[in-house]
Amino acid sequence: MAVDWRNFEPLLIPKIPNLHKIEVFEKHDGYKQLAKVLKEYTPEKVVDEVKAANIRGRGGAGFNAGLKWSFMPKPDGKPRYIAANGDESEPGTFKDRQIFEYNPHLFIEGATIAGFAMHIDAVYVYIRGEYKAWIDMMQKAIDDAYAKGYLGKNIMGSGYDMDMYVHSGAGAYICGEESSLMESLEGKRGYPRVKPPFPAQKGLWGRPTTINNIETLANVPLVIKNGADWYKAIGAESHPGPVLYGISGHVNKPGVYEYPTGMSINDLIYEVCGGMRGGKKVKAVIPGGSSTPPLRGDALEGVCMDADSLRTAGSMMGTAGMIIMDEDTDMVDVLWRISHFYHHESCGQCTPCRDGTGFLEKTLIKIRDGHGEMRDLDLLLDLCTQMEGRTICALADAAAWPVRYTVTRFREDFEKRVKNTVYALA
Amino acid sequence: MPEIFIDNVRYEFEGKPLVLQFMLDQGLDPPFFCYHPSLSIPANCRQCYVEAGTPVMNRETNEWELDEKGERVIRFFPKLMTSCSLEASDGMVIKTQRTSELVERAQKDTLEFILVNHPLDCPICDQAGECPLQIQTYKYGPEGSRFEHKKVHKPKRIKLGPKVILDAERCINCTRCVRFTEEISKTEQLTIISRGDKNYPAVAPGTEFDDPYSLNTVDICPVGALTSSDFRFKARVWEMNQTPGVDVTNGKGCNIDVWTRDNLVMRITPRFNPAVNDHWMPDFGRDDITRLNENRISKPQVKLDGDSIKSSWSNAEMSMAEKLQEVKPEEILVIGSAFSSVEDNFVLNKHFSALGAKEAVFSPFIKEGSGDGFLIEDDQYPNTNGCRLLGLKELSPSELEASIKESGVKLVISLEDDLVGRGAVSAAAFEGKFFVYMGSNHNETSAAADLVIPISNSVEQSCSFVNTGGRIQRTVAAKETMYTNRKLNLEMSMGRLDRYGTKFDNWVSDRNRIDCMPAWEFLERLATLSDQQFGYQTTRDIIAEIASVNEKFSGVNYDRIDDELGVPLISNEQEAKSV
Ligand SMILES: Cc1cc2nc3c(=O)[nH]c(=O)nc-3n(C[C@H](O)[C@H](O)[C@H](O)COP(=O)(O)O)c2cc1C
Ligand code: SF4
Ligand code: SF4
Ligand code: FES
Repeated sequence: MAVDWRNFEPLLIPKIPNLHKIEVFEKHDGYKQLAKVLKEYTPEKVVDEVKAANIRGRGGAGFNAGLKWSFMPKPDGKPRYIAANGDESEPGTFKDRQIFEYNPHLFIEGATIAGFAMHIDAVYVYIRGEYKAWIDMMQKAIDDAYAKGYLGKNIMGSGYDMDMYVHSGAGAYICGEESSLMESLEGKRGYPRVKPPFPAQKGLWGRPTTINNIETLANVPLVIKNGADWYKAIGAESHPGPVLYGISGHVNKPGVYEYPTGMSINDLIYEVCGGMRGGKKVKAVIPGGSSTPPLRGDALEGVCMDADSLRTAGSMMGTAGMIIMDEDTDMVDVLWRISHFYHHESCGQCTPCRDGTGFLEKTLIKIRDGHGEMRDLDLLLDLCTQMEGRTICALADAAAWPVRYTVTRFREDFEKRVKNTVYALA
Repeated sequence: MPEIFIDNVRYEFEGKPLVLQFMLDQGLDPPFFCYHPSLSIPANCRQCYVEAGTPVMNRETNEWELDEKGERVIRFFPKLMTSCSLEASDGMVIKTQRTSELVERAQKDTLEFILVNHPLDCPICDQAGECPLQIQTYKYGPEGSRFEHKKVHKPKRIKLGPKVILDAERCINCTRCVRFTEEISKTEQLTIISRGDKNYPAVAPGTEFDDPYSLNTVDICPVGALTSSDFRFKARVWEMNQTPGVDVTNGKGCNIDVWTRDNLVMRITPRFNPAVNDHWMPDFGRDDITRLNENRISKPQVKLDGDSIKSSWSNAEMSMAEKLQEVKPEEILVIGSAFSSVEDNFVLNKHFSALGAKEAVFSPFIKEGSGDGFLIEDDQYPNTNGCRLLGLKELSPSELEASIKESGVKLVISLEDDLVGRGAVSAAAFEGKFFVYMGSNHNETSAAADLVIPISNSVEQSCSFVNTGGRIQRTVAAKETMYTNRKLNLEMSMGRLDRYGTKFDNWVSDRNRIDCMPAWEFLERLATLSDQQFGYQTTRDIIAEIASVNEKFSGVNYDRIDDELGVPLISNEQEAKSV
């Protein structure tokens, strides 16, 4: 099903000058949805509406946001939290940054609506420390929202109180994983927690907490404004809404583009990004951040950017941070670089991840440097099996999948690099 | 009662046990590293995998769903589960490595990964022989290694604190040591630093790991990453004998294991007793090895013209007997000791009472405010309550000094207690008296004595102590004296060296056997001279008699103390302190 993307007008980051300023945002219906919710909605109604809209988490796992909110227990008078995830550290991902820079109030409004829906006392906006400039922009936006009474005590006269704080990360990818994000917020070492208990039961400081991606929360005001049915009609049926595609690599016009979900990868490369640099052929596409399995350039026909289509093609939507690689790319180098990242970023709690990521990288270095042997390719796949699904958080999976699928889908690149130590018996 | 099936065997359980702990309680042998029953559960080693499934409940009938064969339909979790963090539920089905190839494989895989960066220096590692990693690798590990790369190198021989040394390369990042300082000793002195395969435990810059409980981390470290600076490279574990005992350096009476080699105490480690010390003990209790091994009084000593000279046992007995003839019974002051055992104190008191002396006195050694509310008590001696229950007369230090100085007192007999050294009594107090000291170590008190009788300490005989909580606990002889013999005393443990070591063996030396005997035994020998002995063969006879004549000890015997890890004699703690 083709998505009508040519007539799509951006919703998350509309082309309005100075929208990051609160006066401009207000002029363009800003904070009206919050006012509407506070006045007309019950918290349950907001949850139901968002659930019906099926906003699938933009942080990677693609979980229905409203459904996640509905897991929060009934309020008991003690604090409850939202942790808004702007850690954005997955290689190939750089889209939440656009929201911080160009439309921070949309996120603030969405997070406040979510707060109202879940009886939240405070929202922690966790932003990677490397985004210093964007942390400052976000802080400014929050300060402005406080000044106008959209945050703080008795928001817009409704009697609802909610605070919002920015927290800066310290450079660890793992702190984007929801439970270690909470540990980090609590001032501890960023070690993911063992689940259960889930964050909705026992989150920040042991209290019910919901973790959502920045972009996920920015979608909320759109749903409130136009209704779940309108929202569901945008993009792919099972994975609706506008999405920020962060496209990098060997295309002519890389960047962050807002379009409906479900766009064909070929349209994104050739229409949106102006085709491949130097007219080269596509060799590989990583669709949603470095942990998602790469697709072969010769198997892109009909593959669209939504969960179902990508699953059929053998990959995942992830963060929609797409990395496009041309025919000159050496997949051994690419894979080594990805493995290096996960080796560097494993928190080191779980044995398979701590020592497996290093084993993978070292084996890839051996192959990259021309010392590899055929058996090393099988070893790589074996190591993946030893890591997948066996750890506390999904980082080990994220480290194993690219290896598994790069080695199997681009095996010729690897075979070319290794010594053939398998001989026919004469 | 709810049931659980582990490898096709049905067990019943109560409450909500964790599957790993439940398996351990059933005597099964699941492999694991990071789990510790007294610490929180990080589930990070990924060694304790099982396959787990739960029966499917039919929502309409509220009954288990059955298949064609009439058996319960089991829905297995899609991933392997870590049994340490998995709560048992009714009808749960568990497959361990014994019945599941997947589990067996996964455990092998985890071990392969752990060993990838492990230095494999077992031949020079203190942990070898008692190393869970070594044991589990033999049992469940891969046959070889496929890792052909350079291992990660990390700092070695880091002095974390005065007592603990870290070899970061051996560390498997189980975080037990960190959790210990966070959850048990609460000093939070350790944390893991760095990430991934580069991480290892460390203290904050400028601080040191001087936690008074620091050596417990060495015990719980599942590899040889943390070692004790005292014990490092001193002995291989298989050369030592392990004997249960009681820590006598404090009133708490932590249960300990005494590790000896060739009759020297090499190390002391805590022994699990949930009613007293759980798995832990303070560091200073382990330092007691110096006192147990060194500076011992071997052979009696008499003072001749101001000089202490060694004498024979018969000479010592004779001079003691002579002295007793010389003085009237009411001129004898008998001082018991909260440092000595129930048995020694009892026999001391009984012996001299039989001669007509006044009842024995004692003076507790309590340092107010030195306790920490955990395993360190104000009471510095292990048997204050024992003396109280035996009915010894409790005196303050000044009262004791006054009674020694009384002009009517001619003969002072004191059971092991460094009265002078600990500042209770001045050495001058003994001037003009004949002072007999029965002790195991040279100290300021023995120096003041006219006759010194070397006696066996708490690891050279079986004897009991009543701790501050009112619990009677006992030791077992761990170390031979000149007059005891492992091969004859069936209670003593026999190690490889004891069995096969010969006089020509480097390790074996008779010098480590002290020429001493238990105080009660000396008194029995003394009694033969006056034909007043009580007929004790062992301390078991003594405790049996105490139990029959003193109702506070009724029902106490060694077997019961062993089976029940001590017997409470005083029910509530408050009472215990004020007896
Ligand atoms: C290793 C790891 C890193 C992650 N990093 C991020 C991140 O940088 N940003 C993010 O939004 N989600 C990240 N996630 C996903 C979060 O755990 C979580 O699923 C997400 O924030 C939930 O928000 P959503 O439901 O709105 O997507 C990461 C997950 C893993 C396992
Ligand atoms: S999978 Fe890796 S990153 Fe995640 S908790 Fe385990 S060791 Fe840490
Ligand atoms: S030093 Fe020992 S106890 Fe501490 S984390 Fe390492 S292996 Fe575990
Ligand atoms: S014992 Fe370490 S994961 Fe269970």
